[in-house]
Amino acid sequence: MAQAAQSLNPSPPLRHGHSVKRHTGLMDWITTVDHKKIAILYLWAGGLFFGIGGLEAILIRIQLIKPMNTFLDAQTFNELITMHGTTMIFLGVMPVIFALMNAVIPLQIGARDVAFPFLNSLGFWTFLFGGILLNLSWIMGGAPDAGWTAYTPLSTIQYSGTHGVDFYTIGLQIAGLGTLIGGINFLATIITMRAPGMSFMRMPMFVWASFITSAIILFAFPAITVGLVLLTFDRILGANFFETSSGGNPVLWQHIFWIFGHPEVYILILPAFGIISEVIPTFARKRLFGYSSMVFATILIAFLGFMVWAHHMFTTGLGPVANALFSVSTMLIAVPTGIKIFNWLFTMWGGQVRFTSPNLFAVGFIPTFTMGGVTGVMLASAPADFQFHDTYFVVAHFHYVIVGGLVSGLFAGLHYWWPKMFGRMLSERLGKWTFWTFIIGFHLTFFVQHFLGLMGMQRRVFTYLPNQQFDLLNLVSTIGAGLMGVGMLIFLTNIFLTSRKPADAADDPWGDGRTLEWTISSPPPEYNFKQTPLVRGLDAFWKEKTSGHTAMTPAEPVGPIHMPSATILPFLMSVGIFIAGFGFMFSRDDFGNAFMSFMFNNYLVTAIGLLITFGSMLVRSLYDDHGWHIEPEELEGR
Amino acid sequence: MATEQHSPSDGAVKHRHRQEGPQRHIVVFVLSVVLTLIAFAAVAAGGVNATFAVILLLVMAVFQVILQMGFWMHLKDKGHLLPIIFMLGGFFIAGTCIVMALYWVWWD
Amino acid sequence: MTTAHAEAAGTLPHEPEKATLEGRNKVLAFWLFLGGESVLFGTLFATFLALRNQTNEGPSANELFHLPLVAAATFLLLVSSLTSVFAIQAMHRNKPALLRNWLLITVFLGLGFLGLEIYEFSEYIRHEKFGMTTSAFSSAFYTLVGFHGAHVAFGILWISVLIGQLARKGLTVITAPKVYVSAMYWHFIDVVWVFIFTVVYLLGKVG
Repeated sequence: MAQAAQSLNPSPPLRHGHSVKRHTGLMDWITTVDHKKIAILYLWAGGLFFGIGGLEAILIRIQLIKPMNTFLDAQTFNELITMHGTTMIFLGVMPVIFALMNAVIPLQIGARDVAFPFLNSLGFWTFLFGGILLNLSWIMGGAPDAGWTAYTPLSTIQYSGTHGVDFYTIGLQIAGLGTLIGGINFLATIITMRAPGMSFMRMPMFVWASFITSAIILFAFPAITVGLVLLTFDRILGANFFETSSGGNPVLWQHIFWIFGHPEVYILILPAFGIISEVIPTFARKRLFGYSSMVFATILIAFLGFMVWAHHMFTTGLGPVANALFSVSTMLIAVPTGIKIFNWLFTMWGGQVRFTSPNLFAVGFIPTFTMGGVTGVMLASAPADFQFHDTYFVVAHFHYVIVGGLVSGLFAGLHYWWPKMFGRMLSERLGKWTFWTFIIGFHLTFFVQHFLGLMGMQRRVFTYLPNQQFDLLNLVSTIGAGLMGVGMLIFLTNIFLTSRKPADAADDPWGDGRTLEWTISSPPPEYNFKQTPLVRGLDAFWKEKTSGHTAMTPAEPVGPIHMPSATILPFLMSVGIFIAGFGFMFSRDDFGNAFMSFMFNNYLVTAIGLLITFGSMLVRSLYDDHGWHIEPEELEGR
Repeated sequence: MATEQHSPSDGAVKHRHRQEGPQRHIVVFVLSVVLTLIAFAAVAAGGVNATFAVILLLVMAVFQVILQMGFWMHLKDKGHLLPIIFMLGGFFIAGTCIVMALYWVWWD
Repeated sequence: MTTAHAEAAGTLPHEPEKATLEGRNKVLAFWLFLGGESVLFGTLFATFLALRNQTNEGPSANELFHLPLVAAATFLLLVSSLTSVFAIQAMHRNKPALLRNWLLITVFLGLGFLGLEIYEFSEYIRHEKFGMTTSAFSSAFYTLVGFHGAHVAFGILWISVLIGQLARKGLTVITAPKVYVSAMYWHFIDVVWVFIFTVVYLLGKVG
């Protein structure tokens, strides 16, 4: 292993005898197993892909600014809508969610790290290499063009002959593996690593939301793993799962995709619910109204989330029984979601509400998300859905819940926890500018799309004829998209300017922190808690504050702290999977070059990639990681 | 069979952890074999009513799985509540997929 | 917090796989993983069930399957699940040599199962003209049973590596959770096979 970086090992000989390898610079980031650094990696990677997805959105809106526009051709438009959806969901918002989970969960439960720091790192790198693989399609023969849902038969080799959809299946497969690993890691972390006194019903709401989200990931991602395998086998090995002429069934793909896909939207929104449930009580100076009903509602949403997938498929002709069943189960989800909405409102009711930038996003979230929820209930009605299906009404609906809901929630969380992650407060003035430009731009873009859909404008079509009353509303929508882009630029400016300021954020920079992350320095030391805190109630820090204490009661004396070693193996494993994926994807190609054909057509490239991955796993298994210790003298010295 | 063989060092925990012998696992094994044999025999004999055969085979399989997961994977032991919840969760979603495959893929 | 490292020097406790936080985390997380694997196989079973009659004028399940071969494979895997229980019992009694022997027997039984499966597949491909591309049924069959076979193959490799590690490092609180988790994996493979022989082979024969 290339552990060539210099050693900064502090000199006193360690009592436990293991030497510490400390890396610097790039090597530090590639080998880190610290959840706080992995959170930052997730944030930058997610931000990069979010930017790509955002540019794709702007291009789509420019094409639709006027009727019969020739800015893009139909094929490019198809590739853009496919990559916009896929990138935003799997590579844009998911990693930002994971960034916040990584940054916050261990701190909120009073843990020194996650349960599996190594797997945490592995999850990030597989996600990143999967995302890179998918986006390489732009420069390697064309991006996927069958929509983010990749419906068969459109996505079969017959109708999508380039490698685009192969990039989709293999890229998502690899990225999905990383997500699954991350989900299992968070589940185990929350189950076993909570500080003494923190029972399940004393966990902060964000931790609860992350716990349930991780459980959904665990049960939903294997389904898409299988779906992607089937599609890959159809396209590369000539299997017949979705090939009607050989007995296959394209509707099977839709079922498998949505058995994963619908829980996936709850994977996206539940963490946002968790963030809102942290931000609103903090800035209302009141405990969350109806904590236990919030927990119950979250669990119920997760369960119902698995029971509604066929509402995406009403128009495939499932028959009246199935359509009625899935209509009712879908409408049921409005009940626990409504409980949450009212709980947030009642939390603010009578509180001393401060409209800081995180709280602006949180308060803006509530009506915006509710509008998305209401159109969701409209879409749940099967007969009405036959009219709405594949129109801009649907586009408006899911952007209201995902952008107006989730992205607002992520902005709230990023502004809220930025000082804890980076030790610097984001500018409040720029934060408020971000909020107003973003939310006004958002409603301009998507509110009008409800009407475009009701008037019959089809989604996923690259242009439209004039004089159908579409022209003005599309122009408004494009202007709104530009305004949202401006909001993003203000946010980036804010990050840039903040990064040049000194890292002087207080431990509890908002002054009203309620949970454990605000009891330690900003950013926290690599071991998080010098002494594991003793939790005496819900909102542990707030409870101490109301009892007149300024710090937590420690649950243990100061002692040596065991830390896991940095390692490059997760990175290498992910590189191996990346190479193997490439090899498999091109295994049926004719390269016109004897060596290349030999390497790819005999699966040698795939074999080399798998050898790297399994070899790294073997190394990990054979050589025990004893980790290293931070001694009490060091802790006191800091 | 001698089953109470401890290494000297774990005398302190002797009371809490009684060593279990191989007998019960052999019983589970024999039961598994019997359940498997009933299933194979019902099919090999032929002439069994198809609906009855489906129910019989599935019951045999479920029994065998409960036995093996309970005893061999220790799910019946204390401290396995969360594993049981998550395994049941997985089986429930798997069952949902199978209902989908049986009723909602093909048109009648 | 008890670490694996701190315990490694002491004597081996009764259930060494649960002696450290790392060990307990590993066992718990593996249960979670198996919950996910249940959905993975559930989706594969669903695919198979949806496509089981789509033979596209190729061989059908009833024409294809030979029960004696399936029964032999079933028996091998069932016995290997029992031997892997014995391995864990040997581990709990701190008998590394016995543990190694039971693991070796488990690996050999697994190899026998895998050999039968490879033989079965090659017979179908060579003599029955039943390949991946024959029909939707064939694709679903090979994918479901092949996924299980790949799991068996991975399990064989995994347990073999552990046998090597036990020889080098001995039975410690670091190696014990690995052995325990691999046994959980092996039992799970057997559980999946119970459903495969029931749903794919026996119900295929019933029609």
